[in-house]
Amino acid sequence: MRGAPSGRALAALLAATVGLLWGAPVLSQETVVVRVKLIQGEVPTDPTAPIWNTIPATEFPMSPQVHWPKRILQVTVKSIRVRGVHNTKHIAFLLEYADPTRDPADAAALEFMVGDKKAHFAHGQPMAQVEGGPVNIWYWRSDTPGAADMNAQGFGTLKKQAQQDVQAKGVWKDEKTKVRFKERKLIPRKDAQGQAVKDPKTGDPLFDEETKVVEQEVTGVWRVVFVRALTTSDPNDAQFQPGTFPNIAFAVWDGKKLESGDLKESGSQKAVTSWWYFNAEPPTNYAIYLYGLIAVVVAAGVEYVIIRKVKKGQPA
Amino acid sequence: MTLAMKGAVLLVAVFLIVKFGLPLITAPLPMSLIWLYLFLTTVGIVVYGTLSAESTEALLGPIFRFLGGEGLNGSAKLARLAVLVLVPLLVGWQTYSELVPSSQPPAENRTIHPAPPGEFVGLANPVPNTPENVMMGKGLFSAFCSPCHGAKFNGNGPASDGFNPPPANFVDPGTIAQLQESYLFWRIKKGGVGLNVEGHPWKSAMPRWEVELPDEWIWKIIMAEYAGSGQKPRTWE
Ligand code: HEC
Repeated sequence: MRGAPSGRALAALLAATVGLLWGAPVLSQETVVVRVKLIQGEVPTDPTAPIWNTIPATEFPMSPQVHWPKRILQVTVKSIRVRGVHNTKHIAFLLEYADPTRDPADAAALEFMVGDKKAHFAHGQPMAQVEGGPVNIWYWRSDTPGAADMNAQGFGTLKKQAQQDVQAKGVWKDEKTKVRFKERKLIPRKDAQGQAVKDPKTGDPLFDEETKVVEQEVTGVWRVVFVRALTTSDPNDAQFQPGTFPNIAFAVWDGKKLESGDLKESGSQKAVTSWWYFNAEPPTNYAIYLYGLIAVVVAAGVEYVIIRKVKKGQPA
Repeated sequence: MTLAMKGAVLLVAVFLIVKFGLPLITAPLPMSLIWLYLFLTTVGIVVYGTLSAESTEALLGPIFRFLGGEGLNGSAKLARLAVLVLVPLLVGWQTYSELVPSSQPPAENRTIHPAPPGEFVGLANPVPNTPENVMMGKGLFSAFCSPCHGAKFNGNGPASDGFNPPPANFVDPGTIAQLQESYLFWRIKKGGVGLNVEGHPWKSAMPRWEVELPDEWIWKIIMAEYAGSGQKPRTWE
């Protein structure tokens, strides 16, 4: 009767292993993805199309562009909500952000890598130890119908393509929207007597930092839709396959005219993000269920053969 | 304990070590690698177990008897049934999950501190560490670096939110306290685009300061960074 107890133990161990594999926690990801939903029918070219209300948005915080000159330290748009849909032929992105004023020079852009080479998020600027590729930029400006389909590979190389493949449409509404962003304050450190506390070594005044997430209500929202075919015939374009995770980056300009006559934000003075991802939902491939089923059947068949062999081989 | 039991215990132990033990000191291992280790362990057990006729019987005998079901009763019978049902289901599930398109972006396995180019190894800070120089460095830091790295040197500047990876937190003992001044000089001069492929330079917002700041200023900023964050440069090696 040696078989029975060890068999039981084996089964218990196996069950434990299966349980562990099953319940193994999924790796947490720091990255954020725009989930581009697969839809039936035409993709919406209108920012106010009702279908957008059924699509979940991903929110990206934006930074003032301080990465290269000319910098800007304060920008209007602190975060952007992005939605996407596709129908396996065309893809549409909806950008939504608060901007209290509607100005002719208000603008927004999407950026992608072209081809297999990695491209730096700042206009595909050259990298010292990695051979980079170009970026494809889709640019919309509120006083210009449509969109500009552009390339860049390094600062100062931005150029409109010969073949324009992108459409865009923006709609501004004076409706209320909530914006959330981090606010930081430096508070001078005081002692019990209310005197400023100084660093004993340097004599510098010390301060504490207070960071909180503020939610603000703003009146004025831009909604901008960009539409393009998932794949184009232009080798300068980014090409997209459902199921993959291409990089995407965002930029927004508040083109408000200041009293000085200058625009509040223009050129390299804008709100930006670095690379994030989007994922065009792949169509369900039913063959995968079939392959899983075949694997079950084959495994059961192997079991059957082994058991038969064992039973035959056993001395009667 | 029979050989079969020992083998099973070894397999589970190897699984626990690579799945939960190793990630304590390294990055989590991908499932494919874990399967490979389990496979190699299994091969080892089988080779060891089949060296002689006796050990073959000791290893395979219990397994075959269990699978054959002869002489099992009660809970052992149930366990056999469970194994016979679960194994094909597990194989099916594994096949399905291999094929189904992932809903997660590629893992961000970026090396934060890749090796610097040779010319940036072992440089000494040529600027004397005087209060005036540190003060000037702090002024430069607050003008050029604090929008991203924060006035408190903690990576929490007002322009830090849109960047992935986020600006380095110098107060964290995992950043500049691990590095020599020479390494910082490289990182500040050449910026994010100066990283090698392991550092994912295409994602980094760290500016290439050599186009804007003279070397002397960079050395002063380095002194200020250590003074301001309460860290000391790594000096040994
Ligand atoms: C536009 C935002 C930005 C500005 C401005 C900026 N940095 Fe950075 N910095 C980053 C980011 C993002 C990283 C992390 C990615 C990387 O390592 O390249 C970083 C990383 C670093 C590192 C590497 C730390 C480590 O542990 O490897 C150093 C050193 C550094 N910065 C110093 C500076 C100094 C000094 C200045 C000012 C002269 C400065 N930075 C200005 C964004 C910025």
